[in-house]
Amino acid sequence: MAQIQLKNICKRWGSTTGVKDFSLDIADREFIVFLGPSGCGKTTTMRMIAGLEDPTEGEIYIGDTCVNGLEPKDRDIAMVFQSYGLYPNLTVYENIRFPLKIRKVAAETHDSRVRKAADMVELGPLLDRYPKELSGGQRQRVALARAIVREPNVFLMDEPLSNLDAKLRVSTRAQIKHLQHSLQTTTIYVTHDQIEAMTLADRVVVMSMGELQQLGTPTEIYDTPANTFVAGFIGSPAMNLLDGKIIDGKFVTEHTQIDQLPSGLPDAVTIGFRAEDIQVTIPTDQHDTANSEGHIFAPVYSVEMLGDSTLISIKVGQALLIAKAEKTFRAEIGQTVSFIVPPEARHWFSKENGARISV
Amino acid sequence: MKQKTFFVFVAPSLLMMLIFIAIPLVSVFIQSFYVTQNVYETVVVETCTPSFPTSICEKTEKTVPLLDENNTPITQTVFVGLDTYRAVLEPEKAVQLIRSGQFFDIFTDIDFYKALRFTLMFTLITLPLVIGVGLLIALTVNNVAQNIKGPVIFISLLPFIITPVIGALSIKWLFIGDGLLTRALESLIGQEIAMFAQGWTIELLMMFYRVWHVAPFAFVIFYAGLQSVNQDTLESAVIDGASRFERVRYVIIPHLMPLIYFIALIHLMDTYRVFEEIIGFSSEAHVISLQWLTFDFLEPDDTGNRAISRASASSMLTMIGIILLLIPVLNRTLRDQKKG
Repeated sequence: MAQIQLKNICKRWGSTTGVKDFSLDIADREFIVFLGPSGCGKTTTMRMIAGLEDPTEGEIYIGDTCVNGLEPKDRDIAMVFQSYGLYPNLTVYENIRFPLKIRKVAAETHDSRVRKAADMVELGPLLDRYPKELSGGQRQRVALARAIVREPNVFLMDEPLSNLDAKLRVSTRAQIKHLQHSLQTTTIYVTHDQIEAMTLADRVVVMSMGELQQLGTPTEIYDTPANTFVAGFIGSPAMNLLDGKIIDGKFVTEHTQIDQLPSGLPDAVTIGFRAEDIQVTIPTDQHDTANSEGHIFAPVYSVEMLGDSTLISIKVGQALLIAKAEKTFRAEIGQTVSFIVPPEARHWFSKENGARISV
Repeated sequence: MKQKTFFVFVAPSLLMMLIFIAIPLVSVFIQSFYVTQNVYETVVVETCTPSFPTSICEKTEKTVPLLDENNTPITQTVFVGLDTYRAVLEPEKAVQLIRSGQFFDIFTDIDFYKALRFTLMFTLITLPLVIGVGLLIALTVNNVAQNIKGPVIFISLLPFIITPVIGALSIKWLFIGDGLLTRALESLIGQEIAMFAQGWTIELLMMFYRVWHVAPFAFVIFYAGLQSVNQDTLESAVIDGASRFERVRYVIIPHLMPLIYFIALIHLMDTYRVFEEIIGFSSEAHVISLQWLTFDFLEPDDTGNRAISRASASSMLTMIGIILLLIPVLNRTLRDQKKG
């Protein structure tokens, strides 16, 4: 059993706070991803679980044991690092074998365990090579094999794909997902890449400024972001956010008038909508849009052809709003376009504190 | 960089190396095969002693230096082949001692082997100690709190700043008959200590001094190297379960290996030319080194002559010794460089 419990964890260095009052329950065999921008405290939290940092306050439980006072080696965890953390003077075989050798595991089992771990990440033919003779992807697979060879209770992965190119990242990501599925080991994965988080996680922990912003499945995080930070961080492109006021039952701001509002909204709100939920049209009369259908009318700021779709962006005040149109949609920069935001696609947030308003 | 630019850049250094290293080296090499000596002539000298009724005179032949018009002895340089090397190595005496079963007397009776024994022993014992102590200081300093790092680095470097002869003299004064440490040790163990009464204790002090003096150099180099140890690899080792010692063995030492070779090369070259300690400890009666032997050949003897050819031969033999010692280290370095 390797459920993990974090109880009111804090990490401070002098007057700087890295992690604030962070509590989390991770189920046995769960794949959980810590997601957030640089400096949000996700790696610090993982390092505290690993024992590489001591929490200033709070308790960490792995299984039923409080591990605060335990050395990293005694926590039965394995960790994969962003820059692989391989031993450059040892061959691939010796690198994978290292944890067994150091922990004095019965020597007669080493060979079979090393080969089994190497086969799981398709490293069989490369066992005699040195790390410097491998590509980035192969090195990361050595790090993975070294992590799985000991069959630990918990895997910790600190941005393991960040150093890989885009194509390799996709294949290694799939390999990690497959490994976790077949090994059924509790896994904590740190990343700032929301695509990795969405594709890998059973649950995602979104963090900012050392605090937990939202915890939920990828679908929950995407469909019902808890606040403007999560809304603006998740999704590619991220959710469009627009500040405005409720006047005469309409959401009003520059170039914008949105009606059919739910009841109970405060006077100052932020509306959020995703790029793919917007309908984009070009008004027939470019100079008089009063009679045209639409909620937002503004000149096109940029047009980006993605192949499967076209991104149309407009500027409303300081906000850059992006809509995902059909791949055949074409508009000129400066041409006025209309964005229609269907009621079911609208998310409402308090302008005061950014929290989601349930309507 | 273009070849021409590169050449212009390194040309001054090459010229200096040619003038101050290559030419003197070749000159010493050539000199070691020649002997410069006075030209003598045989003259008949008549010596008369007063007697009665006439003086008694006797004619004898004498060899006297030939003088030029300024009454300065005329000298000539002659090629003697390997004779000067023979004079230094004394192979006949060595063979004789071996045949008579007194093998170890070679290292006490023949100056060159006496110097070679000490020089080799001094070099090979101090080398691992300098590397070990330097690494230990570097690891300690690297792990002390940030706010005391500066003073600790300064104190660690002090022995390296002190002039070698002065440093050796300081150690000598601490351990001479009424020296501070001798007195302290005597009162501690309740027995008289005479550190300068026998060769081996002097050698021990010399080695202690050399390690004390050079370890800070190794420390600075290792400390710089420690700043670039891959933290992920180090933390991987922690997670894998490696103890502090195992982390040093499997992560830090392999990372510092090129620097260890560098220190070894510098130390071998430097220590094989051990000289200051002999002067500082005034140990000539017990312990001599190859460099000191060369110096001794260059010192004028009772008749004012300097054995320049033997000094040249001794220098060449010292250099050959250094090269032989460096070959394994250079070999290893080149092999590692080829690997990657």
